[in-house]
Amino acid sequence: MVRAMMREDPSDSEFHEAADAAADPSEPRGRRRFSAGARASFGYRDVGAAEKQGLVRGVFSNVARSYDLMNDLMSVGVHRLWKDAFVDWLNPRPGWTVLDVAGGTGDIAFRVRKRTGDNGRVVVCDLTPDMLKVGRDRAVDKGVLSGIDWLAGDAMSLPVKSRTADAYTIAFGLRNVTHIEDVLAEAYRSLRPGGRFMCLEFSQVVLPVLDRVYDLYSFNVLPRIGQLVARDRESYQYLVESIRRFPPQEELASMMRAAGFERVTYRNLSGGIAAIHSGWRL
Amino acid sequence: MSDQTPDTDGPHADSAVDPKLLEILVCPLTKGPLDYDAKAQELISRQAKLAYPIRDGIPIMLPDEARRIDE
Repeated sequence: MVRAMMREDPSDSEFHEAADAAADPSEPRGRRRFSAGARASFGYRDVGAAEKQGLVRGVFSNVARSYDLMNDLMSVGVHRLWKDAFVDWLNPRPGWTVLDVAGGTGDIAFRVRKRTGDNGRVVVCDLTPDMLKVGRDRAVDKGVLSGIDWLAGDAMSLPVKSRTADAYTIAFGLRNVTHIEDVLAEAYRSLRPGGRFMCLEFSQVVLPVLDRVYDLYSFNVLPRIGQLVARDRESYQYLVESIRRFPPQEELASMMRAAGFERVTYRNLSGGIAAIHSGWRL
Repeated sequence: MSDQTPDTDGPHADSAVDPKLLEILVCPLTKGPLDYDAKAQELISRQAKLAYPIRDGIPIMLPDEARRIDE
């Protein structure tokens, strides 16, 4: 499906074939008709900015059914604790409206609801309808029949009114968007004054030995596991590469400030394998 | 993954959209209001001349997936 993502040796792929990635006529999913001049990263490939969204949607349609398993593999199971820490820090209150973007399978939404009870409300917005279906099926399984709304939308162009959300959350979603700046601007717009933006994302490992081990694991072990478990090496390869292309902690904090957020802070999780960023619309 | 089977027999196959959700939805392009067509299961943005489909109770607020309206 997204075969061109595959790289035997990711260490030297960064500068290769940026041009032919978008021009390859055999590319099945290209959105070449837009022929946008802007470029975006798709893992280690450079693709047309207009093309990235379709490619990302392809990846998540491919992995939707195995997505939770994939998160377990990518974080060695620790993503559950990170998400707990994320919602702990957010500390959602009854009566809040939480806009959870890229939250398709509901991991954040269910945790928020657990704390707010019936008075809380989560609107889950995800680019990929297949992910939303998984989330909604899980809601039915858990007996959560109200308080969570599911809608397909683009984080760069949100279909929600300005100043509606008490909190905007995005967990493991920001690195998959075409333009982070646009997402931050839309997040700011959607929040009411006093509202809070929070992002959980893979980040830059800050511990000296751990970074080597983590590299070895993610580039050599993980795509193979993806192949074995989901029979989809390419999608998993993309996910690993996209993590390395994402701005590290300080850079993301600066981008948040540039978007208008105040009191911007972050916390590293597991030595920086992931980080939580927080900022306020004041 | 090759699971292309539409889940038309799920427990929420023809569930309606939550009215509280409709209150906060706008057209992603114009940020203008939407009209809910319950019969057609569409959300209509007159400014953008687009009808966004609602599939299995999930509003699909993506211009690529919307139907163009000619008035």
